[in-house]
Amino acid sequence: MKKLPALASFASFLVVLSAALLGARAADLKIGERAPDFTLPAASDAKAVALKDLLAKNKAVAVIFVATKCPVSNAYNPRMAALGKEYAAKGISLVGINSNKTEPAVEVKEHAEKNGFTFPVLKDEGNKVADAYGASHTPEVFVLDAKGNLIYHGRIDESQDDPKNVKSPDLRIALDAVLAGKPVPTAQTKAFGCSIKRV
Amino acid sequence: MRFARRFLAAAGFAILARPAVGAPVKLVKPEQYRSRVVAAKKGRVVLVNFWATWCEPCREEMPALAAAAKGFPSKDVAVALVSTDSLKKTADVQKFLASEKIPFVCWQAKSSDPQRFIDAVDKTWNGVVPYTLVYDRKGEIAARLLGPQTERSFTEAVRKTLAASP
Repeated sequence: MKKLPALASFASFLVVLSAALLGARAADLKIGERAPDFTLPAASDAKAVALKDLLAKNKAVAVIFVATKCPVSNAYNPRMAALGKEYAAKGISLVGINSNKTEPAVEVKEHAEKNGFTFPVLKDEGNKVADAYGASHTPEVFVLDAKGNLIYHGRIDESQDDPKNVKSPDLRIALDAVLAGKPVPTAQTKAFGCSIKRV
Repeated sequence: MRFARRFLAAAGFAILARPAVGAPVKLVKPEQYRSRVVAAKKGRVVLVNFWATWCEPCREEMPALAAAAKGFPSKDVAVALVSTDSLKKTADVQKFLASEKIPFVCWQAKSSDPQRFIDAVDKTWNGVVPYTLVYDRKGEIAARLLGPQTERSFTEAVRKTLAASP
Protein backbone atom coordinates (compact mmCIF):
# COMPACT_ATOMS: atom_id res chain seq x y z
CA MET A 1 0.00 0.00 0.00
CA LYS A 2 1.23 3.45 -0.89
CA LYS A 3 2.62 5.34 2.08
CA LEU A 4 1.32 8.84 2.53
CA PRO A 5 3.50 11.23 4.43
CA ALA A 6 1.12 13.27 6.52
CA LEU A 7 -1.20 11.81 9.12
CA ALA A 8 -4.01 14.02 7.83
CA SER A 9 -3.54 12.63 4.36
CA PHE A 10 -3.60 9.12 5.75
CA ALA A 11 -6.80 9.85 7.67
CA SER A 12 -8.37 11.27 4.52
CA PHE A 13 -7.26 8.20 2.64
CA LEU A 14 -8.95 5.95 5.21
CA VAL A 15 -12.15 7.96 4.94
CA VAL A 16 -12.07 7.70 1.15
CA LEU A 17 -11.29 3.99 1.34
CA SER A 18 -14.16 3.41 3.76
CA ALA A 19 -16.50 5.43 1.59
CA ALA A 20 -15.41 3.45 -1.44
CA LEU A 21 -16.00 0.16 0.33
CA LEU A 22 -19.34 1.29 1.68
CA GLY A 23 -20.24 2.70 -1.71
CA ALA A 24 -19.48 -0.60 -3.39
CA ARG A 25 -21.67 -2.40 -0.88
CA ALA A 26 -24.47 0.16 -1.18
CA ALA A 27 -24.43 -0.22 -4.97
CA ASP A 28 -24.81 -4.01 -4.79
CA LEU A 29 -27.29 -5.05 -7.41
CA LYS A 30 -30.28 -6.99 -6.21
CA ILE A 31 -31.86 -9.87 -8.05
CA GLY A 32 -34.54 -8.51 -10.37
CA GLU A 33 -33.01 -5.04 -10.58
CA ARG A 34 -31.98 -3.44 -13.84
CA ALA A 35 -28.22 -3.67 -14.23
CA PRO A 36 -26.35 -0.46 -15.07
CA ASP A 37 -25.42 -0.10 -18.72
CA PHE A 38 -21.76 0.21 -19.61
CA THR A 39 -19.56 0.76 -22.61
CA LEU A 40 -15.96 -0.35 -22.23
CA PRO A 41 -13.04 -0.94 -24.58
CA ALA A 42 -12.28 -4.53 -25.54
CA ALA A 43 -8.81 -5.52 -24.37
CA SER A 44 -8.20 -7.18 -27.75
CA ASP A 45 -8.57 -4.14 -30.02
CA ALA A 46 -9.80 -1.26 -27.81
CA LYS A 47 -13.09 -1.14 -29.72
CA ALA A 48 -16.01 -0.04 -27.58
CA VAL A 49 -18.39 -2.78 -26.47
CA ALA A 50 -21.75 -1.73 -25.09
CA LEU A 51 -23.85 -3.90 -22.81
CA LYS A 52 -27.04 -2.71 -24.51
CA ASP A 53 -25.77 -4.04 -27.85
CA LEU A 54 -24.97 -7.42 -26.32
CA LEU A 55 -28.41 -7.56 -24.71
CA ALA A 56 -30.08 -6.69 -28.02
CA LYS A 57 -28.41 -9.65 -29.74
CA ASN A 58 -28.72 -12.28 -27.01
CA LYS A 59 -31.21 -14.09 -24.81
CA ALA A 60 -29.01 -13.24 -21.82
CA VAL A 61 -25.58 -11.89 -21.01
CA ALA A 62 -23.28 -13.30 -18.34
CA VAL A 63 -20.99 -10.55 -17.07
CA ILE A 64 -17.97 -12.11 -15.37
CA PHE A 65 -15.41 -10.07 -13.47
CA VAL A 66 -12.08 -11.74 -14.17
CA ALA A 67 -8.40 -11.34 -13.45
CA THR A 68 -5.12 -12.34 -15.04
CA LYS A 69 -3.16 -13.03 -11.87
CA CYS A 70 -5.78 -14.32 -9.46
CA PRO A 71 -5.27 -18.08 -8.98
CA VAL A 72 -8.94 -18.59 -8.21
CA SER A 73 -10.09 -16.82 -11.38
CA ASN A 74 -7.40 -18.61 -13.35
CA ALA A 75 -8.59 -21.99 -12.07
CA TYR A 76 -11.82 -21.24 -13.94
CA ASN A 77 -10.24 -20.18 -17.26
CA PRO A 78 -10.90 -23.47 -19.08
CA ARG A 79 -14.46 -23.52 -17.73
CA MET A 80 -15.10 -19.93 -18.80
CA ALA A 81 -13.67 -20.62 -22.26
CA ALA A 82 -15.87 -23.71 -22.64
CA LEU A 83 -19.00 -21.98 -21.34
CA GLY A 84 -18.36 -19.01 -23.65
CA LYS A 85 -18.25 -21.23 -26.73
CA GLU A 86 -21.11 -23.48 -25.72
CA TYR A 87 -23.58 -20.76 -24.81
CA ALA A 88 -22.66 -18.38 -27.65
CA ALA A 89 -24.03 -21.06 -29.94
CA LYS A 90 -27.24 -21.03 -27.91
CA GLY A 91 -27.70 -17.27 -27.98
CA ILE A 92 -26.15 -16.28 -24.65
CA SER A 93 -23.03 -14.14 -24.53
CA LEU A 94 -20.38 -14.13 -21.88
CA VAL A 95 -18.47 -10.91 -21.37
CA GLY A 96 -15.42 -10.65 -19.16
CA ILE A 97 -14.54 -7.46 -17.31
CA ASN A 98 -11.14 -6.84 -15.84
CA SER A 99 -11.31 -4.07 -13.23
CA ASN A 100 -7.96 -4.67 -11.57
CA LYS A 101 -5.77 -1.58 -11.57
CA THR A 102 -2.75 -3.89 -11.44
CA GLU A 103 -3.55 -5.60 -14.76
CA PRO A 104 -3.15 -3.43 -17.88
CA ALA A 105 -5.13 -3.96 -21.09
CA VAL A 106 -2.20 -5.53 -22.92
CA GLU A 107 -1.90 -8.16 -20.20
CA VAL A 108 -5.66 -8.77 -20.28
CA LYS A 109 -5.50 -9.24 -24.07
CA GLU A 110 -2.64 -11.75 -23.84
CA HIS A 111 -4.38 -13.62 -21.03
CA ALA A 112 -7.63 -13.89 -23.00
CA GLU A 113 -5.81 -15.15 -26.09
CA LYS A 114 -3.72 -17.62 -24.14
CA ASN A 115 -6.80 -19.07 -22.49
CA GLY A 116 -8.90 -19.26 -25.63
CA PHE A 117 -11.59 -16.81 -24.55
CA THR A 118 -13.81 -16.28 -27.58
CA PHE A 119 -16.02 -13.84 -25.68
CA PRO A 120 -15.02 -10.19 -25.30
CA VAL A 121 -12.93 -9.23 -22.29
CA LEU A 122 -13.22 -5.55 -21.47
CA LYS A 123 -10.93 -3.27 -19.52
CA ASP A 124 -12.66 -1.33 -16.75
CA GLU A 125 -10.19 1.45 -16.01
CA GLY A 126 -10.95 3.09 -12.70
CA ASN A 127 -13.20 0.12 -11.73
CA LYS A 128 -16.29 2.17 -12.50
CA VAL A 129 -18.33 -0.81 -13.67
CA ALA A 130 -17.17 -2.94 -10.76
CA ASP A 131 -18.36 -0.17 -8.46
CA ALA A 132 -21.67 0.21 -10.29
CA TYR A 133 -22.31 -3.52 -9.96
CA GLY A 134 -20.89 -3.83 -6.45
CA ALA A 135 -18.54 -6.55 -7.65
CA SER A 136 -15.97 -7.64 -5.06
CA HIS A 137 -14.31 -10.77 -6.39
CA THR A 138 -12.74 -12.43 -9.35
CA PRO A 139 -14.39 -14.49 -10.61
CA GLU A 140 -17.85 -13.06 -9.91
CA VAL A 141 -20.81 -13.52 -12.24
CA PHE A 142 -23.84 -11.34 -12.98
CA VAL A 143 -26.32 -12.91 -15.40
CA LEU A 144 -28.70 -10.45 -17.03
CA ASP A 145 -31.81 -11.38 -18.97
CA ALA A 146 -32.52 -9.79 -22.34
CA LYS A 147 -34.08 -6.79 -20.60
CA GLY A 148 -30.92 -6.26 -18.58
CA ASN A 149 -32.39 -7.41 -15.29
CA LEU A 150 -30.19 -9.34 -12.88
CA ILE A 151 -31.32 -12.97 -12.69
CA TYR A 152 -28.22 -14.63 -11.20
CA HIS A 153 -25.33 -13.34 -9.12
CA GLY A 154 -22.48 -15.28 -7.59
CA ARG A 155 -19.97 -17.98 -8.44
CA ILE A 156 -19.40 -20.10 -11.51
CA ASP A 157 -19.54 -23.26 -9.43
CA GLU A 158 -18.39 -24.45 -6.03
CA SER A 159 -15.37 -26.50 -7.06
CA GLN A 160 -12.32 -24.35 -7.69
CA ASP A 161 -9.83 -27.19 -7.71
CA ASP A 162 -11.69 -30.02 -9.33
CA PRO A 163 -13.65 -29.15 -12.48
CA LYS A 164 -14.50 -32.82 -12.97
CA ASN A 165 -16.21 -33.03 -9.62
CA VAL A 166 -18.54 -30.03 -9.75
CA LYS A 167 -21.71 -30.70 -7.78
CA SER A 168 -23.27 -27.26 -8.08
CA PRO A 169 -22.74 -25.78 -11.58
CA ASP A 170 -24.56 -22.61 -10.63
CA LEU A 171 -23.80 -20.49 -13.69
CA ARG A 172 -24.69 -23.32 -16.08
CA ILE A 173 -27.95 -23.93 -14.18
CA ALA A 174 -28.82 -20.24 -14.49
CA LEU A 175 -28.08 -20.12 -18.22
CA ASP A 176 -30.03 -23.32 -18.86
CA ALA A 177 -32.97 -21.84 -16.96
CA VAL A 178 -32.90 -18.83 -19.30
CA LEU A 179 -32.92 -21.12 -22.34
CA ALA A 180 -35.80 -23.13 -20.87
CA GLY A 181 -37.74 -19.95 -20.13
CA LYS A 182 -37.83 -20.79 -16.43
CA PRO A 183 -36.81 -18.81 -13.37
CA VAL A 184 -33.29 -19.40 -12.09
CA PRO A 185 -33.71 -21.84 -9.17
CA THR A 186 -30.86 -20.40 -7.07
CA ALA A 187 -30.47 -16.79 -8.10
CA GLN A 188 -27.85 -15.84 -5.52
CA THR A 189 -24.71 -17.64 -4.40
CA LYS A 190 -21.58 -16.29 -2.73
CA ALA A 191 -18.77 -15.64 -5.15
CA PHE A 192 -15.31 -16.46 -3.84
CA GLY A 193 -11.88 -15.54 -5.08
CA CYS A 194 -9.52 -12.61 -5.09
CA SER A 195 -10.65 -9.13 -4.23
CA ILE A 196 -10.81 -6.67 -7.12
CA LYS A 197 -7.79 -4.38 -6.99
CA ARG A 198 -9.51 -1.00 -7.07
CA VAL A 199 -7.99 2.42 -7.62
CA MET B 1 2.10 -20.98 48.51
CA ARG B 2 2.11 -17.49 47.13
CA PHE B 3 5.36 -18.28 45.32
CA ALA B 4 3.85 -21.46 43.88
CA ARG B 5 0.80 -19.55 42.65
CA ARG B 6 3.03 -16.93 41.07
CA PHE B 7 5.18 -19.62 39.48
CA LEU B 8 2.14 -21.39 38.02
CA ALA B 9 0.69 -18.13 36.74
CA ALA B 10 3.99 -17.25 35.14
CA ALA B 11 4.26 -20.71 33.60
CA GLY B 12 0.70 -20.50 32.33
CA PHE B 13 1.38 -17.12 30.81
CA ALA B 14 4.47 -18.49 29.14
CA ILE B 15 2.49 -21.35 27.62
CA LEU B 16 -0.23 -19.05 26.33
CA ALA B 17 2.26 -16.60 24.95
CA ARG B 18 4.42 -19.23 23.27
CA PRO B 19 4.62 -18.38 19.60
CA ALA B 20 3.20 -20.92 17.17
CA VAL B 21 5.87 -20.26 14.55
CA GLY B 22 6.33 -23.40 12.48
CA ALA B 23 3.30 -25.16 13.97
CA PRO B 24 1.52 -27.30 11.39
CA VAL B 25 -1.51 -25.85 9.68
CA LYS B 26 -4.65 -27.65 10.83
CA LEU B 27 -7.70 -28.28 8.69
CA VAL B 28 -11.10 -27.15 9.89
CA LYS B 29 -14.48 -28.07 8.41
CA PRO B 30 -17.38 -25.60 8.41
CA GLU B 31 -19.20 -27.47 11.17
CA GLN B 32 -16.06 -27.48 13.31
CA TYR B 33 -15.25 -23.79 13.01
CA ARG B 34 -17.16 -22.57 16.05
CA SER B 35 -16.04 -25.33 18.39
CA ARG B 36 -12.41 -25.64 17.32
CA VAL B 37 -11.41 -22.11 16.41
CA VAL B 38 -13.64 -19.93 18.60
CA ALA B 39 -15.19 -21.88 21.49
CA ALA B 40 -11.92 -23.62 22.31
CA LYS B 41 -10.70 -20.22 23.49
CA LYS B 42 -13.88 -19.38 25.39
CA GLY B 43 -13.34 -16.99 28.22
CA ARG B 44 -10.85 -15.03 26.17
CA VAL B 45 -11.41 -12.48 23.45
CA VAL B 46 -10.58 -14.20 20.16
CA LEU B 47 -9.37 -12.47 17.03
CA VAL B 48 -9.67 -14.57 13.88
CA ASN B 49 -8.03 -13.35 10.71
CA PHE B 50 -9.11 -14.88 7.39
CA TRP B 51 -6.49 -14.71 4.68
CA ALA B 52 -4.90 -16.45 1.71
CA THR B 53 -1.38 -16.69 0.34
CA TRP B 54 -2.51 -15.30 -3.02
CA CYS B 55 -4.02 -12.24 -1.33
CA GLU B 56 -1.45 -9.46 -1.32
CA PRO B 57 -3.26 -7.21 1.20
CA CYS B 58 -3.53 -10.23 3.50
CA ARG B 59 0.19 -10.86 3.35
CA GLU B 60 0.89 -7.17 3.84
CA GLU B 61 -1.28 -6.84 6.95
CA MET B 62 0.11 -9.94 8.65
CA PRO B 63 3.10 -8.15 10.24
CA ALA B 64 0.70 -5.49 11.55
CA LEU B 65 -1.34 -8.21 13.23
CA ALA B 66 1.78 -9.78 14.68
CA ALA B 67 2.88 -6.38 16.01
CA ALA B 68 -0.54 -5.66 17.48
CA ALA B 69 -0.67 -9.08 19.13
CA LYS B 70 2.50 -8.32 21.07
CA GLY B 71 0.43 -5.83 23.02
CA PHE B 72 -2.45 -8.21 23.71
CA PRO B 73 -2.54 -9.74 27.20
CA SER B 74 -2.32 -13.43 26.28
CA LYS B 75 -4.40 -14.55 29.26
CA ASP B 76 -7.26 -12.45 27.86
CA VAL B 77 -6.78 -12.56 24.09
CA ALA B 78 -6.14 -15.34 21.59
CA VAL B 79 -5.33 -14.89 17.91
CA ALA B 80 -5.94 -17.45 15.21
CA LEU B 81 -5.58 -17.43 11.44
CA VAL B 82 -7.80 -19.20 8.97
CA SER B 83 -6.42 -19.66 5.48
CA THR B 84 -8.91 -19.85 2.64
CA ASP B 85 -6.30 -21.22 0.26
CA SER B 86 -6.97 -24.26 -1.84
CA LEU B 87 -6.08 -27.47 -0.01
CA LYS B 88 -3.45 -28.00 -2.70
CA LYS B 89 -1.64 -24.99 -1.23
CA THR B 90 -1.20 -26.09 2.37
CA ALA B 91 2.57 -26.25 1.91
CA ASP B 92 2.58 -22.67 0.62
CA VAL B 93 0.59 -21.53 3.66
CA GLN B 94 3.06 -23.23 5.96
CA LYS B 95 6.02 -21.82 4.08
CA PHE B 96 4.73 -18.24 4.20
CA LEU B 97 3.98 -18.37 7.93
CA ALA B 98 7.39 -19.83 8.70
CA SER B 99 9.29 -17.42 6.46
CA GLU B 100 7.51 -14.42 7.96
CA LYS B 101 7.76 -15.87 11.49
CA ILE B 102 4.04 -15.40 12.04
CA PRO B 103 3.40 -16.52 15.62
CA PHE B 104 -0.20 -17.71 15.37
CA VAL B 105 -2.02 -20.98 15.10
CA CYS B 106 -3.25 -21.30 11.55
CA TRP B 107 -6.25 -23.29 10.40
CA GLN B 108 -7.14 -23.99 6.82
CA ALA B 109 -10.72 -24.12 5.62
CA LYS B 110 -11.69 -27.58 4.43
CA SER B 111 -14.92 -27.59 2.50
CA SER B 112 -15.96 -28.92 -0.86
CA ASP B 113 -18.21 -25.86 -1.06
CA PRO B 114 -16.61 -22.53 -0.03
CA GLN B 115 -20.02 -20.99 0.58
CA ARG B 116 -20.68 -23.50 3.35
CA PHE B 117 -17.54 -22.37 5.14
CA ILE B 118 -18.22 -18.66 4.60
CA ASP B 119 -21.75 -19.02 5.95
CA ALA B 120 -20.59 -21.13 8.89
CA VAL B 121 -18.22 -18.33 9.88
CA ASP B 122 -20.49 -15.35 9.34
CA LYS B 123 -23.57 -15.17 7.14
CA THR B 124 -22.97 -11.45 6.57
CA TRP B 125 -19.49 -12.09 5.15
CA ASN B 126 -19.21 -12.01 1.36
CA GLY B 127 -16.04 -14.11 1.43
CA VAL B 128 -13.57 -11.36 0.57
CA VAL B 129 -10.23 -11.57 2.37
CA PRO B 130 -8.64 -10.17 4.37
CA TYR B 131 -11.44 -10.34 6.88
CA THR B 132 -11.12 -10.27 10.64
CA LEU B 133 -13.60 -11.14 13.33
CA VAL B 134 -13.19 -10.28 16.98
CA TYR B 135 -15.20 -12.43 19.39
CA ASP B 136 -16.03 -11.40 22.92
CA ARG B 137 -15.40 -13.66 25.91
CA LYS B 138 -18.72 -15.40 25.32
CA GLY B 139 -17.80 -16.25 21.75
CA GLU B 140 -20.12 -13.72 20.15
CA ILE B 141 -18.94 -11.56 17.25
CA ALA B 142 -18.02 -8.16 18.67
CA ALA B 143 -16.30 -6.62 15.64
CA ARG B 144 -16.07 -7.23 11.92
CA LEU B 145 -13.03 -5.74 10.19
CA LEU B 146 -13.38 -5.65 6.42
CA GLY B 147 -10.32 -5.33 4.26
CA PRO B 148 -6.74 -4.67 5.22
CA GLN B 149 -6.08 -3.42 8.72
CA THR B 150 -3.29 -1.68 10.57
CA GLU B 151 -1.61 -2.42 13.87
CA ARG B 152 -3.71 0.38 15.30
CA SER B 153 -7.05 -0.85 13.98
CA PHE B 154 -6.39 -4.40 15.18
CA THR B 155 -5.41 -3.07 18.58
CA GLU B 156 -8.40 -0.77 18.79
CA ALA B 157 -10.88 -3.52 17.93
CA VAL B 158 -9.45 -5.82 20.59
CA ARG B 159 -9.23 -3.02 23.14
CA LYS B 160 -12.88 -2.09 22.64
CA THR B 161 -13.96 -5.73 22.92
CA LEU B 162 -11.98 -6.19 26.11
CA ALA B 163 -13.43 -2.99 27.54
CA ALA B 164 -16.96 -4.18 26.77
CA SER B 165 -16.40 -7.57 28.37
CA PRO B 166 -13.85 -7.09 31.17
